[in-house]
Amino acid sequence: MFSTFRIYILIAAVALFACHKTAEDANNDGTTEQHTTTPLQNSHPTVNMVYIPGGEYKPFYGSDTALVQVPPFLIDERAVTNEEFLAFVKANPQWQRSRVKQVYADSNYLKLWPGDTTLPNNADPEAPVCDISWFAAKAYAKSVGKRLPTLDEWEFVAMADEKVANARKKPEYSNRIVDLYLQKDRQFKAVKKTAPNYWGVYNMFDLIWEWTDDFNSVMATEDSRVGEYDDKGLFCAGSATSATDVLNYAAFMRFALRGSLKANYTVANLGFRCAKDSNALAANKK
Amino acid sequence: MKAKHFLLSASAVLTIALFSCRSNSGSPDTKAGAMAEATGEPEVAQVTGAPNVPAPIGNRGAKKLIVNLETTETEGIIADSIPYTFWTFNNTVPGSFIRVREGDEITLNLKNAANSVLPHNIDLHAVNGPGGGAEATSSAPGKTTSFTFKALNPGLYVYHCAAPPVPMHIGNGMYGLILVEPAGGLPKVDKEYYIMQGEFYTKMSGVKKGLLEFDNDKAIHENPDYVLFNGKKGSLLGKNQIEAKVGETVRLFVGNGGPNLTSSFHVIGEIFDNVYLEGGSTVSHNIQTTMIPSGGAAIVEFKVDVPGEYVLVDHSLSRAFNKGAIGKLKVRGEENHAIFKKGK
Amino acid sequence: MRTLFSLMLSVMLLLSCQNKKAERIAILPSDSIFHLSSEWHNQNNESLQLKALKGKTLVVVMIYTSCKTACPILVSKMKTIEQKIDRKAIDKVNLVLVSIDPDTDSPARLKAFAKDNKMDAPQWTFLTSNTDNTQEFANVLSMKYKKISPIDFSHSNIISVFNPLGELVSQEQGTAINVDQVVSTVSKTVKEFS
Repeated sequence: MFSTFRIYILIAAVALFACHKTAEDANNDGTTEQHTTTPLQNSHPTVNMVYIPGGEYKPFYGSDTALVQVPPFLIDERAVTNEEFLAFVKANPQWQRSRVKQVYADSNYLKLWPGDTTLPNNADPEAPVCDISWFAAKAYAKSVGKRLPTLDEWEFVAMADEKVANARKKPEYSNRIVDLYLQKDRQFKAVKKTAPNYWGVYNMFDLIWEWTDDFNSVMATEDSRVGEYDDKGLFCAGSATSATDVLNYAAFMRFALRGSLKANYTVANLGFRCAKDSNALAANKK
Repeated sequence: MKAKHFLLSASAVLTIALFSCRSNSGSPDTKAGAMAEATGEPEVAQVTGAPNVPAPIGNRGAKKLIVNLETTETEGIIADSIPYTFWTFNNTVPGSFIRVREGDEITLNLKNAANSVLPHNIDLHAVNGPGGGAEATSSAPGKTTSFTFKALNPGLYVYHCAAPPVPMHIGNGMYGLILVEPAGGLPKVDKEYYIMQGEFYTKMSGVKKGLLEFDNDKAIHENPDYVLFNGKKGSLLGKNQIEAKVGETVRLFVGNGGPNLTSSFHVIGEIFDNVYLEGGSTVSHNIQTTMIPSGGAAIVEFKVDVPGEYVLVDHSLSRAFNKGAIGKLKVRGEENHAIFKKGK
Repeated sequence: MRTLFSLMLSVMLLLSCQNKKAERIAILPSDSIFHLSSEWHNQNNESLQLKALKGKTLVVVMIYTSCKTACPILVSKMKTIEQKIDRKAIDKVNLVLVSIDPDTDSPARLKAFAKDNKMDAPQWTFLTSNTDNTQEFANVLSMKYKKISPIDFSHSNIISVFNPLGELVSQEQGTAINVDQVVSTVSKTVKEFS
């Protein structure tokens, strides 16, 4: 009789406790955590930022004559790795697999991770982190005092091969990249194992697709002021009429990928690297 | 009584109105499907890989259908045990044959395989709407998209991936056919087959030894290494040849994915009794060779009278003899000397 | 004694279950926009988070007030939608216009815009924030936009309907948005949650 009584008390306690937990969750709607992102600056001694002087460049989509001025900026020499992202979710539990809100990341977020703070068994900690949303990438960048590169910044760096800053004119430039793009499962390889480009930036093409801050401005054109948004750029012949270099199949692929994304999407071969305004560097140095 | 009278006259007016709309449109055959109301719970449509086609729709009414397609990037054999990285709908080249009726309301679910490197989409030429569905179905790797359309125009239509660079997606095998049968169905025949031509521009992969992949330069110069029926050299030869018996009527659904070449489709030793020109509603008779443009299709029908092997070719003959555009129809049965007799 | 305790326990369990039910309604779904923690100002210069909009069916569009092309069409569509919503349901609906040009669209400017366009009834909400929050919200709506000059943006035209829990119900896209479709979605959603 006595032991049964004890069990009853235990059950009651558990039930009450469970309710209590739920009530707590309900009260704060889970939103409070989102507001603060714990800084991680000190845990990332290994990633160098490369200074890119910027300059004029011709965007892939747009009119042939319109050059865009890219201001100087800093960009991470490589993508954010599994290990780094693990540290980030440890410090910021709201970005853990089981706790992230679907408005910020779809159900495949970090899908290969066996737990909230465990990397997959066979994963290289030095491989780029994938299966993360734009929101997660942005939150990470903020946590390390950086931001995501803009589309123009990313594409500016992507013009380089190992030898020159702008290799777009070389006939093999696009083909070489396409060759790299077509390899499956390359996202599982470690960063910085292949040669850097002219700027000293690694793995622009051979490991992953990368989020950019304004990935969703892909299809914006100057004509859109008349009110109709020009989505046609990415389909059928339309893509050939608005692209500035119709032989650049690698760029077509990249922009098609960006166009298929929504900000809460997570994709198996999509990761990111961070960037920073270059005056931010000057400020830091002082 | 009064109400009934009103209903009757209302329906008469409606009929006249509808009829006048139809004759105003100038093309009585098209858009007729729009008038049929798709009814019932949605059903998953059965789709097939080439050379097979799903069962005829017969005399059913318009209904709601679900078509599920998956885009994949997968290694397969292009010729003589040479591997090539194909991009596909449902893991086959051409992609699955879709068979619907005019007036059907079709929900197309497009899943892009999780291990795909690239985004894909689908543009069905049978669709009236932006991009033929391409904009609505742009699918990132691992994502599923969908859209619903009403099949307004009967005919045989090409579908293909329209993600940029489009020639590359098509050049790697991302095309197939969708048949929209008219109300009442197509006339009954004995055999139906699905054949689709496409050309392949290849180079050695820079990364994997022995593997062929798409060559952009050859594509731009429209200089393919292979011109193939159903995505593989010999796909309609040897044990893969298609068959019929003497006296049977054969219907071929023939498409051309391209991405660039126009096909001069011909069956050596046969005359097409009927050709649904360019896959549309005009039927032409007694045709020797029918032109199938890139991104187009035709339905050809003929009765086989005499046994033998009938060779299917693109009559731009270097493609048949040197690049693979060749297949066989084996016809078995009794000789008919009244029609064909070999001299001594 | 034992019976008494069992009874007590049952009551407690029942009570806790009931509580739970009430709470479940209060707990936001994982895909709710009310999880966003960004700070906004409305046309009355009141500071708020999106979860302040909880409890009503939302019709949301992003525009900027100096836009001379697509936005006037969108604004006029929003007005038509507002007019077509059943008057008995209008207090359960919030029509929200979010600025994509926070540098220009101050709360005061939004207030004036609302007045000029006769959108100053209580069911209208205008919101503005900063560039970051605006970008985040645009991405939640899967809306594409880009600043193409100091005064102009190119942007996709989307009218979204959210249920009172902040879950996306439907989106209509393009300048040819079917207003009746939106109105019917709104009515259905209001009914479902009343």
